[in-house]
Amino acid sequence: MTRHLSAELGLTLRILFRQPGFWIPTVLFPAMLYAFFGANSGGGAWAANAMASFAVYAVLGVGFFQFGVSVAQDRASPFATWQSTLPGSAVPQWIARIIAAVIFVTLAVALVIALAHLMTDVDLPARAWGRLAAVCLMATGTATLMGIALGSVASARAAVPLANLVYLPLAYLGGLWVPPIAMPAAINAISEWTPTRAMGELAWAAMEGRAWSLQDLGLLAAWTLAAAAMTGLTTRPLRRRPSA
Amino acid sequence: MTMTQSDLAIHAHGLAKRFGAVQAVSRIDLVVAPGEALGLLGSNGAGKSTTLSMLMGLCAPDAGKALVFGHPVGSPAARRLTGATPQATDLPDQVTPREILTYAALRYGVAPAIDRLTADFGLDDLIDRRVAGFSGGQMRRVALALAFVGQPRLVFLDEPTSGLDSAAQQAFRVMARSYVAQGGALVLTSHHWDEIEAICSSIAVIDRGETVLAGRIDTIRDRARITRLGFDLPPGLVPPLWLGARHDGARWQVETGDSDTLLRRMVTEALPFANLTLQPLELKDLIHHLRHEENRP
Repeated sequence: MTRHLSAELGLTLRILFRQPGFWIPTVLFPAMLYAFFGANSGGGAWAANAMASFAVYAVLGVGFFQFGVSVAQDRASPFATWQSTLPGSAVPQWIARIIAAVIFVTLAVALVIALAHLMTDVDLPARAWGRLAAVCLMATGTATLMGIALGSVASARAAVPLANLVYLPLAYLGGLWVPPIAMPAAINAISEWTPTRAMGELAWAAMEGRAWSLQDLGLLAAWTLAAAAMTGLTTRPLRRRPSA
Repeated sequence: MTMTQSDLAIHAHGLAKRFGAVQAVSRIDLVVAPGEALGLLGSNGAGKSTTLSMLMGLCAPDAGKALVFGHPVGSPAARRLTGATPQATDLPDQVTPREILTYAALRYGVAPAIDRLTADFGLDDLIDRRVAGFSGGQMRRVALALAFVGQPRLVFLDEPTSGLDSAAQQAFRVMARSYVAQGGALVLTSHHWDEIEAICSSIAVIDRGETVLAGRIDTIRDRARITRLGFDLPPGLVPPLWLGARHDGARWQVETGDSDTLLRRMVTEALPFANLTLQPLELKDLIHHLRHEENRP
């Protein structure tokens, strides 16, 4: 398992890091949005919460969109078909994908935090940074698995538009762009059941020094398990139609 | 000596696969022993690729059963014993052959024999170059090396020499024969009949999803000793109907299992033929002849 995982991780990171056209925009995009829409939200607690929101948004973008959904494209590639003839299960490939996502998420979140330091007066104790990092880590697992689940059922052509249809509303509904307090009541009622709201609540609690609520942790765990189960169910039977 | 299922590289019986309304494969029976190279033949859409996919564990058959050295196809044990080529055009651009061979070797849990593979597949100048920019033939050589990197006992090759120049084709044939001579089992599809004859000891012909002819090539040749007679006739002269000759655009041709009797009658009846040639049928024509005979009412 360790040998297989290191093989998968090595191949995945080589392929990704040798494509500047992929990783530079992936890492820059959340920071750019934060600079335009999040960094001007005032100072103090507002600034910290906005930074945390865009950190979670970076996680969602990189994990769900770039890593998870790309499964659909990979699934359609003959190289991935050949990989599935090799010994070993698909699990190390998923883990390698999640580790790669964590690495890119770390870079993207670090850039958001660096901008927050440059553009706002965010100043947090070490414990708050640690808790934000933990939230980002948990959220990466959930977001990537959700993306993989979507990528496993969508065709290569449909995956990106379908992902946009899920990812952008999830970011809004989770309160990552607009604080939940500013949402209409009906939207807020839906928001409370979304995985992004749970990610946001955990991140804001870390910023404000509040304890994490069990409800938010439970909701995030439930979404993670559901995405993992769906991934397992949809990727197990290989029903590819061979070319003539 | 009797072979058991676990001795056989492939033992497939009654494989069937349907995709929606299309019955891609309706009944495939195959047996491949270690040290045997099987050529899978058939026209486009006959069911060769679906059969290969089922044998490699890429898609589950709707009916029938296939074992690789006694293990169900697609099982971890079967995968460890099996090698296959990826489609050459699809290797990731960002990696080098050395990196991708090392990756595959790690998946098999074997030491990557880079030097041997580099020599066998002519990768000397390519081994540390990124794949981006490789020609089709260079990609194909890397893809072929990937099939053998895990030291498999059974290798599946789909059109293995497509895109290779003639020197590389020849080198591959030598390497493939050596692999089989050392006890390896090969299953390959190819549109090059000379390649099938050069590498394979057995063939299986698939037509409309069924195995319609299978066996050792030498046995098939023995079973049907067909000779092709070629001859010229004076312009305007048409051979008699009993001869069953046809004109191929250049010469008159007859295929027969008893060339002596036919020639005697041609002489007895004073047919003014010239430039007579006799040659055994090539494998492609022999199979066509046998299929034609089978389908004759």
